[in-house]
Amino acid sequence: MKFLGYQRPDGSVGIRNYVLVIPGGLVGSKICDFVEGTKTITVASDAYFDHTSRDRETVGRTLIGLGRSPNVAAVIIDTSINGAGYPEYTAAHLFEEISKSGKRVELLNAIKEGGTLASISKGIQLAREMVHDASKLRRQPFDLSHLVLAVKCGASDTTSGIAGNPVIGNLFDRVIGAGGTALFGENTEIVGAEQVLAKRAVNERVANDILQVAHDIEEVAKSTGEDIRTMNPIPANIAGGISTLEEKSLGAICKSGSAPIQGVLKYGERPAGQGLYFFDNNPAMGIYFGYAASGAQLLLFQLGGGGYGRTDADMLLTPGPGVIAPLLWATANPRTLARSSTSIDFYSGTVLEGEDSIESAGEKLLQQVVDIASGTFTKVESIKQQEPSQMYLRDPIF
Amino acid sequence: MAFKGALMLSEQDNVATSLEEIAGGADVDIQLGDKLSNVVALEQIPFGFKIAVADIAKDAHVIKYGESIGVASEDIKAGNLVHIHNLGGARGRGDLAKGGAQ
Repeated sequence: MKFLGYQRPDGSVGIRNYVLVIPGGLVGSKICDFVEGTKTITVASDAYFDHTSRDRETVGRTLIGLGRSPNVAAVIIDTSINGAGYPEYTAAHLFEEISKSGKRVELLNAIKEGGTLASISKGIQLAREMVHDASKLRRQPFDLSHLVLAVKCGASDTTSGIAGNPVIGNLFDRVIGAGGTALFGENTEIVGAEQVLAKRAVNERVANDILQVAHDIEEVAKSTGEDIRTMNPIPANIAGGISTLEEKSLGAICKSGSAPIQGVLKYGERPAGQGLYFFDNNPAMGIYFGYAASGAQLLLFQLGGGGYGRTDADMLLTPGPGVIAPLLWATANPRTLARSSTSIDFYSGTVLEGEDSIESAGEKLLQQVVDIASGTFTKVESIKQQEPSQMYLRDPIF
Repeated sequence: MAFKGALMLSEQDNVATSLEEIAGGADVDIQLGDKLSNVVALEQIPFGFKIAVADIAKDAHVIKYGESIGVASEDIKAGNLVHIHNLGGARGRGDLAKGGAQ
């Protein structure tokens, strides 16, 4: 089985072909308003200031990772990020690191150009050139070992644990079996299931890393003095039939399939090899931004939704938390499908209805993933909406 | 699996997940792989919620996926709905932790 992708100079393969402008802000957003085929990120205006060193490293790793993503053909770096002065993400550092991928990277300097507006104008010209060059690339067939998938589950209900997540897990097993890579995460949602995951670690160090992630988040949760059940599972999970965090976690880890776990990745860190990795992040939507920075080309959201209001009005689901990586929505809940039919790409409730086994549903999902990797849009991909992106920062702002 | 009755995920489980709206008094088919058993629902079990397939004593573990999903906060009879009213989590209990805020 092969998908049609874009060959990058570093040997990676893109499933999309964007020009990326970092680090966001006015210049990036105006360039992207004007030029087709471009993407930028939207972060809080103070996102680059007053962080601890480990958080600054995360910021730098994320920006570099996004620039190096196989879904990105070329990169424009707005040098106004130098205003912060931190060495982890000066424009020169970002330029040097992203350039290692062999793709074209250009610096856009507002002072040299004669001001912000002149800089936007120059950026538009640069972006047009880059997009035109990128459009000359042709998709070619590649085997699945070039795929990096990543998943999060959300609004989980009991259909998630018995059908939705196991079908994603079956997809992961298939892609990893073909030499590909898959990422899963959400620290809180392995608490109560970490002993099961640790048994699947490739060695003791990785097993300990997994147990440590669960231990750390549980200690933080306990320090609040609250029962974690008042925070997670969320009320909508409970309304959907999930009773405890342990139950939610044991269902959530089914999305990782059955492959050995190769390691625990930091937010935005690139996997050292192929196979399955745990991704150190809380359950927030910002995980997708980090997945994309880690090199994931295609993102999946496995939606329960049983606890949300039982209306059949069509609710549009969010399109772009991964910015440069498209998002595929899946559900096993027939009511959720009915409610968001124009957003959901894959329905695995057929497993509960007796029409599919987890294996046969996984095979169908793989076919859909290959189609999307080859250029078919996910249902929400046609929606032009840029959500603010949130990196996984651990410490207070000082 | 068929879209009917309730589903056990492991032999060790003492709860099953309902695959339909189950009325109180209904004789419920419990599926575990190819094996079928029956439990009479003592109350309504909504779609996606859990029904006890065995008696569970107060303070005993409630088992799903072959693992503990928490501890019974009261005696549960086979056929009862199992949810937050009779099942408490054992993890992340800051409310029970020493030195936690009151």
